[in-house]
Amino acid sequence: MSDNVLEIKNLTKVFPGVRAIDDVSFDIRRNTVHCLVGENGAGKSTLIKILTGAYARTSGTILLNGEEYAAHNPKEAKNKGISTLFQELNVVDQLTVEENLTLGIEDTKFGFLQKSVKIKKMLEVLKSIEPSINPKQKVGRLSVAKKQIIEIAKAVASEADIIIMDEPTAAISEGEIRRLFKIIKNLREKNVTVIYISHRLDEIFELGDNVTVMRDGKHIETKPVAEVKDRSELIRMMIGKTVIESYIPKDTKSQEILFEVKGISNSKLHDISFDVKKGEIVGFYGLVGAGKTELARAVYGADKYDGEIIFKGSKLGDTPSKAIKAGIVLVPEERRTEGVFTILTIRENIPIMNMGKISKAGFLNNAKERKIAGEYIKKLNIVTSSMEKETAKLSGGNQQKVVFSKCLFADADLLILDEPTRGIDVGAKGEIYSIIRQLSNEGKSIMMFSSELPEIINNCDRIFLLYDGRVKAEIENGTDINGEMIIHIVTGGE
Amino acid sequence: MNLVKKISWKSTIKNLYVLSVLILIVAIFSSVSIKFIEGPNIINIMRQSVPLLLVGTAVTLLMISGNIDLSVGGILGLTSVIFSLLVKAQLGYLVSTLLTLALGIFLGYINGFLVVRLRIVPVIATLATMSLCIGFGKLLSPGGIGLIKGLPDSIIRFARSPFLLGLPISFYVTVLIIAVLVVLQKKTVLGKYAVAIGGNKTAAELSGINVVKTVWLLYIIVGFCSALAGIARTSLLSLGDPVTGSGIELDAMIAVVLGGTSFSGGDGSVARTIIGVLIIMCLTAGMQVIGMEPYFQSLVKGLVLIVAVVTDVLVKERIED
Repeated sequence: MSDNVLEIKNLTKVFPGVRAIDDVSFDIRRNTVHCLVGENGAGKSTLIKILTGAYARTSGTILLNGEEYAAHNPKEAKNKGISTLFQELNVVDQLTVEENLTLGIEDTKFGFLQKSVKIKKMLEVLKSIEPSINPKQKVGRLSVAKKQIIEIAKAVASEADIIIMDEPTAAISEGEIRRLFKIIKNLREKNVTVIYISHRLDEIFELGDNVTVMRDGKHIETKPVAEVKDRSELIRMMIGKTVIESYIPKDTKSQEILFEVKGISNSKLHDISFDVKKGEIVGFYGLVGAGKTELARAVYGADKYDGEIIFKGSKLGDTPSKAIKAGIVLVPEERRTEGVFTILTIRENIPIMNMGKISKAGFLNNAKERKIAGEYIKKLNIVTSSMEKETAKLSGGNQQKVVFSKCLFADADLLILDEPTRGIDVGAKGEIYSIIRQLSNEGKSIMMFSSELPEIINNCDRIFLLYDGRVKAEIENGTDINGEMIIHIVTGGE
Repeated sequence: MNLVKKISWKSTIKNLYVLSVLILIVAIFSSVSIKFIEGPNIINIMRQSVPLLLVGTAVTLLMISGNIDLSVGGILGLTSVIFSLLVKAQLGYLVSTLLTLALGIFLGYINGFLVVRLRIVPVIATLATMSLCIGFGKLLSPGGIGLIKGLPDSIIRFARSPFLLGLPISFYVTVLIIAVLVVLQKKTVLGKYAVAIGGNKTAAELSGINVVKTVWLLYIIVGFCSALAGIARTSLLSLGDPVTGSGIELDAMIAVVLGGTSFSGGDGSVARTIIGVLIIMCLTAGMQVIGMEPYFQSLVKGLVLIVAVVTDVLVKERIED
């Protein structure tokens, strides 16, 4: 058998308008821990989705153990030898450890479960990996880390060649990370190759045998971790050269503080403090699990927190409706499930955060509603054949403009934007940026949460870097901004 | 502008479809027995429809918000008992009515409290209230199960004796209340919020809509209408009966679904529920007129529901294409 468990040759995946993976070739050596790194949008997840069968490739070859490999769904991938530890764990809390291990592959006789060799083997594998887990225990009682271990045991027992781990340390504690690493290192002896994806670069140096760096869908480099000099070499490969395309510093900056967060904390956030000045665009950048959405939701009052938030000189209430009344609105991360009412028309969506303005004593004024909808469709250039169109039928960009219209109609002074351009096309992105810029010029303050560094650098006056639920640094934007330093910090460097 | 037309055309089809089912049923029964469309029978159907009309239309508004109330029958029974006892205690009709309606509002408030404050799943919460109501009703009835008889003759003036065009006062009150509910659904912020909450609760919360207050209020409206239905039923039958409402929660839901209101919330129409109620009432009355056995009635109702819902889905799919 060859030394390579997996060989990827000229792999390409094209989505309409994007080459998510562009002619990627590299090999993964047998019984190693192979790390995959790259910024958001580098193509890592697309590559993984092709391996697990969620996406079909556009072109290219994948050889598993020297044989042509293709899967149409995760189950098929598993049968062929590639198991995946997804971030959403695949265990049933209500069943015991033992039942989970054999779920879907039970041995039965006349429909009755059998205590078979298979179960025995599973339990042995589990015991060899983590002896402290009792097989009769309900899985719901276990920690996330232990649930991961159960999934790993299941994969090992089913003789997986490769286990893909996507950010396995994002949701577990420091002590558990140590234990998980020990298990991962021992997997080599069990004839298992691990493909390890993480934003925490230190983990790469600790765990990895080899590392592959991807950027903008392209393969940049694959080499032994031992030959990578330090974090900054890795970071340079990840980001290439960051160019500042369009950030224009404002001529006059207001010093008036509009919004002040004083040491807020909850289960995901740790002692976060910052302020936002009038007319300022403040960016919050961090990778998956850094606490961006959690922070956006907390300051909006959608999640609970300890600490104090001062808005326009008085203490802010702790519910979204109080925030809206005070003059704060949120453009949420998930447009379809949190932003628009897909069953309602554009006309009905736009005024929903400020119904008082189009009603009298609870009665709607339809003429006013139509007039306002017309104004916003024009102002934000929402492309539609009619204001009576259901928002479900609009494109992502136009839906996002409806969400912006909703928020603008609420007459806010501070807009919280969580991933404002996620999943929308380049043209609409540009329009959203100019809307943001214009709002800022009108004196509105913006808090922008994004996992796209160029978006943050091009738009924000001031940038806060988040890592692990903490503010790690505050940077004044300008021509001397240093992309490498930013990546260094948000991947856990000091 | 073209699109506006297309959408109103869609809802016209939907309205026409439910209406045509009603017309079909009326036509079938009339052809079997001409008695069915004669004045006395029509008046009788209308009179008997009052409780289901009140409950069904109120529940529609609640179901649009994605919630459900199974306690309507229980409330109907308990308020029937209470109203009878108050009348027998010589408190007078006005005071008795007001107190009974207040009880309905209170029970709706309890339902709302269980659902939005204690966050109990609506089916379970209202199932509990239903059981409580029936229990209390029986407790207050003579012998623990009996009917409350011996109400004054004048009690039938609300829901039985002709007032105008042969129909009783209760019918006109119901028309008025339904008109209010239709306006609430179509013309007010409350109606819009109900749709928003039923359509996307998360977005509603993030948009600053007071979900707690809105849903609570809808439960109170249902409680009020159920109590009024209880008074009407008592007046119609001259009886206080703790289980007089049994089964009305199912009929109400059938009527709401026949009217095309989505079971998962978001989409619906109070006006179309009226037609749904009339379909059920005509079926029941029609089968009585042609002398069908009672057990057949239940069977036919179930079949009509299945046929109506399946056809509705098919029609909807056609329109979408």
